[in-house]
Amino acid sequence: MILGGFPYLTSILMACLLGLGGILMLPAERALAIKKVSALFSGITLVLSLFLFVAYDRELGGMQFVEKYLWVEALGIYYHNAADGFSLPMLLLTGIVFFTAVLTMWELEHRVKEFFALFFLLVTGVFGLFMSLDLFFIFVWYDVSLFPMYLLIAVWGSTRKEYGAMKLTLYLLAGSALILPAIIFLVVKAGLNTFDLTALMQPGLFTPYEQKLAFLLLFIGFGILAGVWPFHTWSPVGHVAAPTAVSMVHAGVLMKIGSFGILRIAIYLCPEGWQYWSQAMALLAAVGIVYGALVGLGQTDLKYVVGYSSVSHMGIVGLGLATVSVDGLNGAVFQMFAHGVMTALFFSSIGYIYDKTHTKMIDELGGLNRIMPKASAFFILAAFAGIGVPCLASFWGELIVFMAAFKAFPLRGIAAISGLVISALFMLRVVQKTFYGPPNPKLAHLVDMSPALSVPRVILAAVIVLFGLFPSLLFDVIQTASLPLIGGLTP
Amino acid sequence: MNWALFNTEIFYFCAAVVFLVLAMLRQTGHRTSYHTALFLAALGVVVCIGTLHLDGLLFLESYRIDLFSQVCKALLAMGLLLVVCLCSELEGVAAEWHNEFYMLLFTCTLAMMLLVSSVHMITIYVSLELSSYTLYVMVALRRDKVTGTKAALKYFLVGVVASAVMLFGLALLYAACGATYLTDLVRLLPPLLNRPLVMTALLLTLCGFFFKLAVFPFHFWAPDVYAGAPNQLAAYIATASKVAAIAILMRVTAVAGDATGFLVDSLVVVAIVSMTVGNLVALVQKDLKRLLAYSSIAHAGYVLIGILSLTPAGYSGALFYALALVVMKFTCFLVVIKVADDGRNIDLDQLAGLHRRAPLLAMALMLAVFGLAGIPPTVGFTAKLLVFNAAMQNGYLTLILIAMFNVVISLYYYLLIVKAAYLTEPAAEPAPMPVSGPVKGLVFALVGTMLVTGIAPHYLIELARRATRVLF
Repeated sequence: MILGGFPYLTSILMACLLGLGGILMLPAERALAIKKVSALFSGITLVLSLFLFVAYDRELGGMQFVEKYLWVEALGIYYHNAADGFSLPMLLLTGIVFFTAVLTMWELEHRVKEFFALFFLLVTGVFGLFMSLDLFFIFVWYDVSLFPMYLLIAVWGSTRKEYGAMKLTLYLLAGSALILPAIIFLVVKAGLNTFDLTALMQPGLFTPYEQKLAFLLLFIGFGILAGVWPFHTWSPVGHVAAPTAVSMVHAGVLMKIGSFGILRIAIYLCPEGWQYWSQAMALLAAVGIVYGALVGLGQTDLKYVVGYSSVSHMGIVGLGLATVSVDGLNGAVFQMFAHGVMTALFFSSIGYIYDKTHTKMIDELGGLNRIMPKASAFFILAAFAGIGVPCLASFWGELIVFMAAFKAFPLRGIAAISGLVISALFMLRVVQKTFYGPPNPKLAHLVDMSPALSVPRVILAAVIVLFGLFPSLLFDVIQTASLPLIGGLTP
Repeated sequence: MNWALFNTEIFYFCAAVVFLVLAMLRQTGHRTSYHTALFLAALGVVVCIGTLHLDGLLFLESYRIDLFSQVCKALLAMGLLLVVCLCSELEGVAAEWHNEFYMLLFTCTLAMMLLVSSVHMITIYVSLELSSYTLYVMVALRRDKVTGTKAALKYFLVGVVASAVMLFGLALLYAACGATYLTDLVRLLPPLLNRPLVMTALLLTLCGFFFKLAVFPFHFWAPDVYAGAPNQLAAYIATASKVAAIAILMRVTAVAGDATGFLVDSLVVVAIVSMTVGNLVALVQKDLKRLLAYSSIAHAGYVLIGILSLTPAGYSGALFYALALVVMKFTCFLVVIKVADDGRNIDLDQLAGLHRRAPLLAMALMLAVFGLAGIPPTVGFTAKLLVFNAAMQNGYLTLILIAMFNVVISLYYYLLIVKAAYLTEPAAEPAPMPVSGPVKGLVFALVGTMLVTGIAPHYLIELARRATRVLF
């Protein structure tokens, strides 16, 4: 398909910014209008990202929909956007989670205008990061997507919200404290006076030592956001404190920024550093998988359960990246997508349960399946996806990653799979305690999810099932990026 | 001699004289003096921009007009204009002293303009002292006499010590090189740099500028003076005065050429200690102005990172940083002054409910604070990027990592400000805070500048590069 020169990627950003502008123009009292505007513009971003996903020429591969303008001549900064097999699934994921998160927050009443304005700002940063190919802009988008987080959690959150917000913000900006020096280091060492990623990707530009150093800084910096053990501690606390939509975007998309950053910057620019550190990466990932699952076993708060399972699942992404193989990359990116949709569904259903019951404590719930069967069904579906039940999206990501990991690191692979077994155990325990057993009489009067409120959850569930049944829809696209990347490595 | 080169300074001198006359006439019309000051300050900006292209030497070649000095003067003029804009309710100063206050403000700006153009030891010293003494007096003008006098005295004592040390350094420098012109020093100094006498001389000389910039170990005055001075004056010290200090520090360090070694090492130490001390102490501050003072100390450290590169890239980064500081710090002070409508000092808690009382001010404050923390897409980030980029070209990776961790530390207290403005609920329902039309315009202009120069800094970077190129 020929796509003229129309700046599709920029239009996604413009849709976010127009939405933001629209929200800011409306008076704070017109909450419903603000929500409608939000839904409209987030819907536009979803449609656009879906369109790009479909329109991407899989035969041709490589970077498509390229937009490149010189931005700051003195520093060699380009406004350079493009999409490839790695970024398209992420853009689609962002579109899906964004739209459904806006719908999930339909019942919000407290400071509606500010919430949606900050939320749009956050998502603009996320979209920008996934499509940008300029180190300066990647860093800018990274921070744009982080700092609205502080207010979003601290104002609209629950459970120790101010502590959670502060911890999260400081941790993630500590990550950026490593990323920025690494970026400047690479740019200066290359000596090309350019921040353009494609220009810096030429092989032989950096010495092995520089690659190892920069990779380490970038890996830890982005790894903090990706929830890599032992830098994950902000993540469960932040998830628990955050309001529903923010948890969704946060666990669903923002943590992916971390692994995507490792992939896009660290791995693309420092392939030798990647190979050098892969053993250590695999070790951290395996520990993260097992650790997340074990700690998850002991949790009593639904959101903490999902928070720790995220640590475990993001460990799988890390393990995939660490294998330095096509399968590993495919699996990792697939898992990023699948985990994003799955956690969004998790938090979306927990959000509904919490709104109605005002508790997230597993002990205080119980038998919810009889009181609110629909809300329960969504949670249970997400839990099954999390365990890796076949025909649901996560299954494929986990399968491929573990296959690749077995080949590369048999011991760590086995350890990681044992983590999966533990996570199945704790997920089933949570499902059993929360949704089955005798219903809590105090909750008996509660109503089930209305059809309108089910819409976002249905979308998420459908996506999980769709990509579970037809994984090649996604793999075909990812493949176009992972094959050339691995092919370009010097053995 | 071409007096046309001296236009800007003459203008500010005349402006000061106007207020001297008004003061002698005992004109106590508060609005009249405010409007006069506003008019003169605005005219001053026009004059400065009009003289941007001038180039030449004056007064036995001890006074140099070049693009660098003119850009700094334009920045100073803008700083003065912004501060005067805030003086519409000059509650911190007793009404009968308003004319004197403006007179000293213009004189001080004049002194700083002289400073950024000075290329001779004596002119540097004289203009530095002139600017310091006017500031001492202005601090003492605070309506609350005890606070004002205490702060002024502290300022004065630290300042006198610093200037004595600096004078000693200048004397040693003269003893070592036998020259008093910076242009001669550029020639004579580099081969002598490793002699202990010259090292001591340079370090002692820099102390005078460290005092101005509030760099460790001459930073003790900053928190007390910020807290003790009238709010508008604190804003002035935090913005314009810093520009002058950064500018003259660049002129003087440029003399050392591209030397590595002792001078650079000591600047590295001073930069690291300043950032760390400033940021750590700021963590526990309750008074907003004291907090901003400690953040200034930390920012002086970041600026030094640019200066110690001793390269055109580093200097242009530092100059850009000066501009960024003016805009961001000024926005913070604008909020302080508007919230403290009776000229008192305010605590962080008193920002409570600001997002409802004045949403626009709260938003501007948040943006300025994020800018100070160096978060994109604000001008503060671009400034840091430029400075770090220059330092990396000299291979200071560790220094940059230390600086970035300082940024993370500083984020904590910057977030406390945001929290106070957006989260903390006030005890009683606060009255909405009316923001007048001109102030709204000013806030929009500041916010626009912070964002636009953050996202599209190209023109300013070019200007800073051209301006700093003349130093080499």
